[in-house]
Amino acid sequence: MASQQAAATAGSSSNPPAQEFIVRLGRETKSDKFSVLKFAENLKVDFTKTSNVKLERQNNFREFKQANDMEAMPKFGAGSEYGREQKDEARRRKYGIIRKKYNPDAQPWLLKNGSGKTAKKYKGSREGGISDNASYYIFTQCPDGAFEAHPVDEWYNFTPIIKYKYLDADEAEEAFNKRDKTLNYFNIMLKKRLKDDDGADEADEEEKKMKGKGKKSDFCLTDLDDGVPLSGDDLDMDDSDDEGAPKSKDKKKKIKARKNAKHTADDEAVEESDEGDFDEREVDYMTSGSSSDEDDLKEEDKKKYDETGVVDEDGLRKLNESDESEEEEEEKDKDNDEDNEKDESEKGEKKSDKKASDTESSGSSSDSESEPESGFAKALFMQNRKKKSGGSKESSRSNTPVPSADNEDKKGKKRKAGRDSPVTKKARPSTPTPTSTVATSAITTAATTVPSKISTTPTPSDGISEEAVRRYLMRKPMTVVDLVKKFKSKNPGLNNDDMGKAIVQILKKVNPEKSKHQGKLYLSLKAT
Amino acid sequence: MEKAHDPKDLDLTASGRGVWLVKVPKYLSEKWSNTRGGSELGRLKISRPKFVGAKQEVLFTLPEATVAGDSIPRDHKFAITKIGNQNLSVLSETGTNTEDSTTTVAITGKVIQRAECRPIAGDRYMELKKKALEMSNKPQMEVKVLDKAVVNYKPKANHAFNREWDLKKKEEGKRSRTDKDKVLEMLYNAFEKHQYYNVKDLVTITKQPITWLKEILKEICNYNMRAPHKNMWELKPEYRHYTAKEDDT
Repeated sequence: MASQQAAATAGSSSNPPAQEFIVRLGRETKSDKFSVLKFAENLKVDFTKTSNVKLERQNNFREFKQANDMEAMPKFGAGSEYGREQKDEARRRKYGIIRKKYNPDAQPWLLKNGSGKTAKKYKGSREGGISDNASYYIFTQCPDGAFEAHPVDEWYNFTPIIKYKYLDADEAEEAFNKRDKTLNYFNIMLKKRLKDDDGADEADEEEKKMKGKGKKSDFCLTDLDDGVPLSGDDLDMDDSDDEGAPKSKDKKKKIKARKNAKHTADDEAVEESDEGDFDEREVDYMTSGSSSDEDDLKEEDKKKYDETGVVDEDGLRKLNESDESEEEEEEKDKDNDEDNEKDESEKGEKKSDKKASDTESSGSSSDSESEPESGFAKALFMQNRKKKSGGSKESSRSNTPVPSADNEDKKGKKRKAGRDSPVTKKARPSTPTPTSTVATSAITTAATTVPSKISTTPTPSDGISEEAVRRYLMRKPMTVVDLVKKFKSKNPGLNNDDMGKAIVQILKKVNPEKSKHQGKLYLSLKAT
Repeated sequence: MEKAHDPKDLDLTASGRGVWLVKVPKYLSEKWSNTRGGSELGRLKISRPKFVGAKQEVLFTLPEATVAGDSIPRDHKFAITKIGNQNLSVLSETGTNTEDSTTTVAITGKVIQRAECRPIAGDRYMELKKKALEMSNKPQMEVKVLDKAVVNYKPKANHAFNREWDLKKKEEGKRSRTDKDKVLEMLYNAFEKHQYYNVKDLVTITKQPITWLKEILKEICNYNMRAPHKNMWELKPEYRHYTAKEDDT
């Protein structure tokens, strides 16, 4: 403006080459202050157009008091102490603490433009560092044409006060990732339909794959963790042994096919694929595989139970019979092995035998230890039974010793122990030495032993057995609720009442140690 | 203090006025900060652009007097810049730092142009820079060799403040026991103002010997032994003029 005016005056006079102005220092006193208020251009703050603008200093006295540990003690009357402030100040001086006084003029400005609900509020915070290396002056033009210079004391940067909730950095990032993605509901439905079809196929595949798989569950440290028998794995092991490479290839192909199917489905999918989308899929694949494994196992179990109807004694007897018979078979196998090694299908078993012989000594030692401890023996027995429940199916199917032998391959050591352990001896008190046993005699003995077993395992079909309870309790102290949960997770198809009853019965029998901890009754068993 | 936070109406009458915001080197502002208001700082020469579209040239010349004894360059050039996408207004506060707190706030203008006052490089400017550099390179502490020991503390028989204190004590003399009723009145008076008192303070207030005072205090006061008002006396509840709700000890 000044320059314009200068130009104008220059124009009015006889067009001299330059116009000269006197610059004076402003006549303000020390108590006058000039400051520059900075607004962002997009805020459209124009003081010429508004009339009602209020300015105040933000009141931060309370925060200041809090920050400086100034407790609000009354200065007079009730609760006040004589000379408290002076004493505090003196003490602080002694320790060299010099407190800053609260300066209201050092607080941020609050500017309110307009009135009522339409008022816009801004907060002006002081900016430092601008006048470190240079000073700023405001040049204003006086009526007489001379300039007046006023020093700028402060700079304030005004920002609007936002009341609504806005996204923070993380949320903004999330929202940013979601941008440009539009939902097409038609495609969603299409995708869903395709998936359904795919799912049906997958189910078949999974069933087949199940056989090839199972290596994964080899990583189980202990089979105590699953109530479900692991026999499936063992069986599959031998399968893969038998067919070897082709099977695995087959599996791979299947996986690939499935992946492809997913891909094609995704090509029509609504969202553009992003980085990281496939991670999820991979995980999905892994989990589905394993879960279907379990499902299958459970299905197997169910089937088996359906076939045998284990709930009644008869079924159990059968089961046990099959157990026993299998054992017999094994023993026979062993005999055969020792006698002749011409049968090719028994190669796996031979291996196992070697292993077994390696570990024989340890097994025997454990035998001697476990002789008086019926708990351990029972546990062993349970394992046997469990394994058999898987194996029994196998045996019924093929009626060859091969699978059981391969079973042994895995659990050879335990098997061995089981065979030589007192359990079997107890179970068949009348049987002669293993080498000379005949299947038929075993069956009969098994039949005789059945009732006693039933007494120890009231509802074996439920997976709730005394053994299982003992096992859980021995591992760590548990509440009854925990126990029920455990069994519930293993057997989802059961109703609570039955399970509860069964568990209570078992607990009565087991008679575990009770301890109260944090208001809960924990049951535990000492490892025998 | 509360008054300082009262909202004030912003005077907007001069808000339309255009002003220049000039960046000035420190040596100039130091000079100007010592000069009286209204005195001449210099002269501004604004030359018209030689041809259309050319930038106008603004020269600033200091008067002879200010330049006299110093090595300050006399001629400066104003580099004119646009304000860009900033909205700068000038706020003036009058009457700050005064006790009557009749502060008025006003918008005195809108910045329409920024200028940077740059010295035109010459001998004087070089000299100035040279001096500045020398100053900044000068070490803050130096090692000096002393010929003899410097005594900065001289022993004194009796310091002034000690003598003062003794004099005061002598004037007061020994504290004598006054009438119990009078002491009680003084105590009640004191306890009307505050709830808790230290014995020492009460001694100075009542000017009684401490044993005598404690005797009386035991009758009408409780002695606090624990934390919030430790070692302080307060009136027994029956003597208080306020309700006992504050008694949280």
